Amino acid sequence: MHSFSFRANALLTFSLTILALMCAMASLTDNFNSPSPTATVQILNVNRFQKKASGDDEVGISLDISADLQSLFTWNTKQVFVFLAAEYSTPKNSLNQVSLWDGIIPAKEDAKFSIKTKNKYRFIDQGSNLRGRDFNLTLHWHVMPKTGKMFADKLVLPGFRLPESYR
Amino acid sequence: MGIRFWERKVKAVNEDLEGCSKKRRRQRPHVLTDAYILSPSTFTMDWQGQKVAEQLMQIMLVVFAIAAFITGYILGSFELMIYVYAGGVVLTILTTIPNWPFFNRHPLKWLDPSEAEKHPKPQVTSSVSKKKTPKK
Repeated sequence: MHSFSFRANALLTFSLTILALMCAMASLTDNFNSPSPTATVQILNVNRFQKKASGDDEVGISLDISADLQSLFTWNTKQVFVFLAAEYSTPKNSLNQVSLWDGIIPAKEDAKFSIKTKNKYRFIDQGSNLRGRDFNLTLHWHVMPKTGKMFADKLVLPGFRLPESYR
Repeated sequence: MGIRFWERKVKAVNEDLEGCSKKRRRQRPHVLTDAYILSPSTFTMDWQGQKVAEQLMQIMLVVFAIAAFITGYILGSFELMIYVYAGGVVLTILTTIPNWPFFNRHPLKWLDPSEAEKHPKPQVTSSVSKKKTPKK
């Protein structure tokens, strides 16, 4: 602590180290949050169900997604990334996951929502296995923090079934 | 840099004085001030003040960090925590970095040139038979 620049340097490095510790502690407080999200999804209509020229099945569906993800937000949350995936098994693959829709929730107020939408991304199978197929629609979310660890979790909604024949 | 550095500096200045005639010495009353000014940042904080400044800086930063974290956590705002902490850092900068007078309450007393003349320089014996490696 002898000269101006010496003191300034010491202060700067010490304050930045303390800032790093504060951010680590803020991330640790996220573990105290016990979220209780809810969601329901309904398939309004199967718009399209064809076998493409390549031999793969493709489905176009209209969805009604409503969810309450407000309990996921903490003081250290920047945004929540949420996506809906169709999950099913085929003789070829034991688990197929196809993302149908996603969105970014920037604030707690927007976390309680209900939307009607067509699938944002194409639902295409590897092969021709979708006729009469049972599948789950799983809502995944990633809670992206302002500093520190990201938490990811999901909610499985079972009991959906595709039609027996093409439309 | 410890107290030895400044002792050597005072000694160097006194040796400079030795080489001057009595008339020139009277004409150079501020020669110790030259050494004083040559020191970094004109050194207006004494040793006790430096210690106080360092302790004050550390304590203030930690106190502001704790206050900022508690405020941000209770009010649920990460931005508020950052703003309170930034304000604390600025306050700490203003308090501890400039050479305030209250850091200079125990100033060092430099040796007066007239006093230095009264005390003889220590004589170094020139008869060194063994070769010694130079000490740093």
